[in-house]
Amino acid sequence: MDLEHYKKTWENQPEEAKKVSKEEIYKMSQAKSTSIVKWIFIIGVLEFAFWLILNSFTSKLEVMEIYKELKLMELLDVVYYINFIVVVAFLYYFYKNYSSISTIDSTKDLMRKIIKTRKTVKYYVNYNVLAAVLLMIVFNVKIVNTPNGIETVLEIDNINFDDSNLMTVYVISQAIAVVIMILFLFLFYYLLYGIMLKKLKRNHKELDRLEKLN
Amino acid sequence: MQKDLEAKFLLDFEQNQNIVHKVCRIYTTNQDAHNDLFQEVVIQLWKNYSKFRGDSKFSTWMYRVALNTAISLYRKSTRRIKTQNIDDFTYKIKSSDYDDTEEQQLKSLYSAIHQLNDIDKALIFLYLEDKPYKEISATLGITSVNARVKMNRAKEKLKNILNP
Repeated sequence: MDLEHYKKTWENQPEEAKKVSKEEIYKMSQAKSTSIVKWIFIIGVLEFAFWLILNSFTSKLEVMEIYKELKLMELLDVVYYINFIVVVAFLYYFYKNYSSISTIDSTKDLMRKIIKTRKTVKYYVNYNVLAAVLLMIVFNVKIVNTPNGIETVLEIDNINFDDSNLMTVYVISQAIAVVIMILFLFLFYYLLYGIMLKKLKRNHKELDRLEKLN
Repeated sequence: MQKDLEAKFLLDFEQNQNIVHKVCRIYTTNQDAHNDLFQEVVIQLWKNYSKFRGDSKFSTWMYRVALNTAISLYRKSTRRIKTQNIDDFTYKIKSSDYDDTEEQQLKSLYSAIHQLNDIDKALIFLYLEDKPYKEISATLGITSVNARVKMNRAKEKLKNILNP
């Protein structure tokens, strides 16, 4: 049987037996959306909040006293100003991309915009991880190069401590901390971003594939 | 003003709701998911209704929003279902004046469509609804030429499923 015949069958199919009434439609229209876009927005905002809170907390930690001692405060100040500008820029792009999402766009444009919005958040998180790792490296280099730097950080008063061993242990433990941090975030994003956008990415690729063939 | 808009929307939607039901039948396979997707389409349509200027037909606009919601916004995966229990469809199509063989054919058609990917589903749906290529390419955001090529492949896939 050819498709034209099925088309006839399609045209003749009965209408939905249970028509939705105006009252029901009204109730539905007032309900909260549970769409992917809504989730992307909520999770995006949470992520911005998470890093902002984390940043403002760390600036109040006791560790700052040690940084002061090691004369790292100027560097830290510069980092905070840059960070502030970067966060504002990210928030601006996030909101701009989010508000450009519209279901009346074509399917392809809609998918592109959703993926772009989510990517803004992904870049923001990447920026934070990268900045944290870089800062850690810079600080550690500075600490290691300062006489008695490690002792100051670890608050070791015993002068007879074995120096060569301490250095090795310190560097290794810091390296492990960095690796664990990156692994943890990678896993988190693999789960969050991957699962949420899996379907969308697959469909976007499907539409894209043909464009490239021609 | 808001009340007028609301009333107009409810009327427009009530008259054209069958389009959304058909999209839901294509992209979901049980009544719960059907209702869920239906509600999300209503939300999306109402959210954008003030932007609808009436320069195109409401139904044209409805096709686009309903398909977009099913393909990109609906959070549950609607990936192809390999095995489809025919009985799953009985809840959807029940009408005494509908011919028996035709009912069987409609069931196999839905069952075959369910095995297609999300984009092919949209293409086949627009073909069955007799939409011109111009509208299909505008809805999906691909060129007319691409829409034709892609449509032919989707039809080929559907034919192979229907007549193995």
